[in-house]
Amino acid sequence: MQTFAVSPRLLGMVGFFALLLVALAFLGRVPLKYNLRNLVVRWRVTVLTALVFAVVAALLTVMMAFVNGMYRLTQGSAQPGNVIVLSDGATDELFSNLAYGDTSDLERDPPNVLRDEEGRPLASWELYIVVNQPIPESSPLHRKGHHRRFLQLRGIKDPVLSARVHGLQLHPGGSWFSRAGVRDDPDGGKDQVIEVLLGEGIARAMGTDVGKPSLAVGDTFELGPRRWVVSGILTSAGTTFDSEIWAERQLAGEKFGKELGYTTLVLRTADAEKAKETATWLTTNFKKSAVMAQTETEYYEKLNETNKQFLVVFVIVAVFMAVGGVFGVMNTMFAAISQRIKDIGVLRILGFARWQLLLSFFLETLLIALIGGLIGLAVGSLANGWSMTSIAGSGMGGGKSVVFKLTVDLNIWLGVLTFILGMGIVGGLLPALSAMRLKALESLR
Amino acid sequence: MTPLERTLLSLADDPLRLAGASAVLIALTAMVYYHKPLVFILKSLARNKVRTVLTALATGLFVFVVTLVWSVLWFLDLATQEKKKDLKAIVTDRWQIPSQMPFEYAGPLSEGAYSKPGDIRPTDSMTWQFFGGTLEKEKPTRENLVFFFCMEPSKVMRRENGKVVSMMEGIDQLEPADLDRLEKGLKMMEEDPRRVIIGADRLKALNKRVGETISVYSFNYQDITLDDVEIIGAFPPGQYGQNAVMNRERLNKALEAYKIQYGKPHPMAEKTLNLVWLKVPDTEAYNKIAGQIEKSPRFTAPYVKCETISSGVGAFLDAYSDLLWIVRYPGVIAMVACMSLVISVAISISVRERRTEMAVLKVLGYGPNHILGLVLGEALLLGCGSGLFTATFAYVVVTHLMGGIPLPFFAWFPPFKVPIDALWWGLGLGAGTALAGSFVPAWSARSVKVSEVFAKIS
Repeated sequence: MQTFAVSPRLLGMVGFFALLLVALAFLGRVPLKYNLRNLVVRWRVTVLTALVFAVVAALLTVMMAFVNGMYRLTQGSAQPGNVIVLSDGATDELFSNLAYGDTSDLERDPPNVLRDEEGRPLASWELYIVVNQPIPESSPLHRKGHHRRFLQLRGIKDPVLSARVHGLQLHPGGSWFSRAGVRDDPDGGKDQVIEVLLGEGIARAMGTDVGKPSLAVGDTFELGPRRWVVSGILTSAGTTFDSEIWAERQLAGEKFGKELGYTTLVLRTADAEKAKETATWLTTNFKKSAVMAQTETEYYEKLNETNKQFLVVFVIVAVFMAVGGVFGVMNTMFAAISQRIKDIGVLRILGFARWQLLLSFFLETLLIALIGGLIGLAVGSLANGWSMTSIAGSGMGGGKSVVFKLTVDLNIWLGVLTFILGMGIVGGLLPALSAMRLKALESLR
Repeated sequence: MTPLERTLLSLADDPLRLAGASAVLIALTAMVYYHKPLVFILKSLARNKVRTVLTALATGLFVFVVTLVWSVLWFLDLATQEKKKDLKAIVTDRWQIPSQMPFEYAGPLSEGAYSKPGDIRPTDSMTWQFFGGTLEKEKPTRENLVFFFCMEPSKVMRRENGKVVSMMEGIDQLEPADLDRLEKGLKMMEEDPRRVIIGADRLKALNKRVGETISVYSFNYQDITLDDVEIIGAFPPGQYGQNAVMNRERLNKALEAYKIQYGKPHPMAEKTLNLVWLKVPDTEAYNKIAGQIEKSPRFTAPYVKCETISSGVGAFLDAYSDLLWIVRYPGVIAMVACMSLVISVAISISVRERRTEMAVLKVLGYGPNHILGLVLGEALLLGCGSGLFTATFAYVVVTHLMGGIPLPFFAWFPPFKVPIDALWWGLGLGAGTALAGSFVPAWSARSVKVSEVFAKIS
């Protein structure tokens, strides 16, 4: 399983904040105890204000977990050494058309393509189709008003080779579909059924139609004009293949009007550098047909376009909520200062400088923000692992329906914490400045 | 019809709205008649202007976001709601996405597969063929892409008995001058299929103007390039600002030319018809026509399906159901909770500062419920006022000044506008959150004990 490093920038920012606060609090001789006691004495208002931060933090955590989950899915789907070839100008596999006659040399001509033990190029010829499936009336989904679903069907020439190229295996108990791609109907029907491999996610989704947690090996379902049988379940969790159905290419194509050609060719090279070389070679040197080659990493990065659009919308919502929350915390702090004018006067007379008072009230706001932020993060983190569906696309047509899990990781924690502390800084600055400007004798009068 | 006229008519249609409007009217009358408490509330709010303004701003911001979110959700819910009259049905490939049918389906489908007496025809129809391309073959980018809807120009818009008739939503809402220009442009497109109309927003992205000629290199019809494409008009910015329309004859002729040039049909020749829209008067007619089409032996390669547009839209939105769920439930609940908390903080602070004042009011003869009412009144005035103001601001700015907000991941929808109903949302949200947030502090104010307060003072 891939691990994802913590963003150094985020870590740096939060670390800087923390060090600054600690240095200022202790070295600056700030009357922190006084601030802490005030938070406790006025606990109702403290709790209400902290809750505002908590709600913003919780919502932001869930939204960022959604975006993070999508990013992890697309990153996890890409094999660094793979090169994906589409027809020139195709913005998505759905719009690509590689006529085999013109492109069969694509697996032999390019450099760096690895070979298997039998000397065959590690090349996966694929036909990607999106298909409409009526949801059975017996399904709970149908009763909820969902009458159709879109399924991603991938017609494969050689499932063993394709799985090897994509780094997938079968769960125990399954088998690759046969060369013919069909077998006798296990339910005794007179027509043969088409053998398929299912991603784990789509197996679960289709399992609900028949009241099972997931379709299993040997289960059948209707799709188009034929019946299909599950031959195996792919170890596809965390990849876009989780929502796909793999079947023999010819059978898949014939059933859905794509009798000839392929949409995609994926070539395996040794590593990311070799993949880049091969992709460049194909785009510039392969003249037999107009193709567009890129590394799988680049291809899946482009699929993050819709994810980036979601991120922009979420950030805009979060910013509006943050500004609202900032006004709320300003209210609290202005009220706190106006009630503690005499305290401020006494502190000034005791010798505390203006900047120390500024820091004191500033830190009080940050403390409320920190408490609320941590509570919100804890609540939002409960969403970690929730299964969601969405669309991953390049924003130029097409797109894949994907199943992924909301992912709350350290980056999310650091990012949300930074955001909340930022709210605290903006919300606490003006009230702290107003406290700093109070004159000692006037405040005691 | 102006928005005010529409609002008044809609009030008459909807009992809930009528009740709400009546309550507002009664409240306003009561405030005018019992103006002294209102003056007291206003003076209380004016006593600490900073706090009042901050609370109003915070509430307003949250109402603004909720209004925008609810506008999108409201529009999506409307798009997926089944109508009972003047339905639009959509005919597509039964199994495959994108839908690709042979063009010879166009004629019989437009007639609703009418084949024998007893069958019925739709009241109108429209075929859709999609032609996407780029102006720069070597470097296609989002900016130089153009996506044409290839259709019969007269189906985009025509006049019958002086009335604008169109299968496309919103065309009849265009300004009269834009309608006249559109009508003229469509007639020109019928005379010469090389002429096209492109939306103003797309023209801006392409860096082209009306009157220019372009070449379009297709990405979904490989090896087909349309030269001498003359831009003779533009859809105004807004709903159709990103769209482009071409006479379907241009595409069909290009496919014939391909066959002549290469000696074989284009690979997409039998897959060029993408959708057919049918207009039917009611659900009964829809069911009849859907049955005619799906049982017809003429549509077997490929098979087709007939569904209402709302059902089709619903199927597409299914992929976004989880995202919409997050926004609709955790999102909106969080925002409403924040509003309540902000108001609660403000009112709590205000009540705590004015305990002596509450005690004096009690001594003067105000009952506990009067004090409860005064505090709740403050919160309600603040909440309703900022809610209504913000919702009105959102409606005016987003709907009328901006023409709606386009969401890129819902690109096939027109820009999302804030409906006039948003004014009720703002009022309701402000009132609801004000009551929820201020009830506990108001109850605490109600329970102030005069003796305790004066004992502390002495």
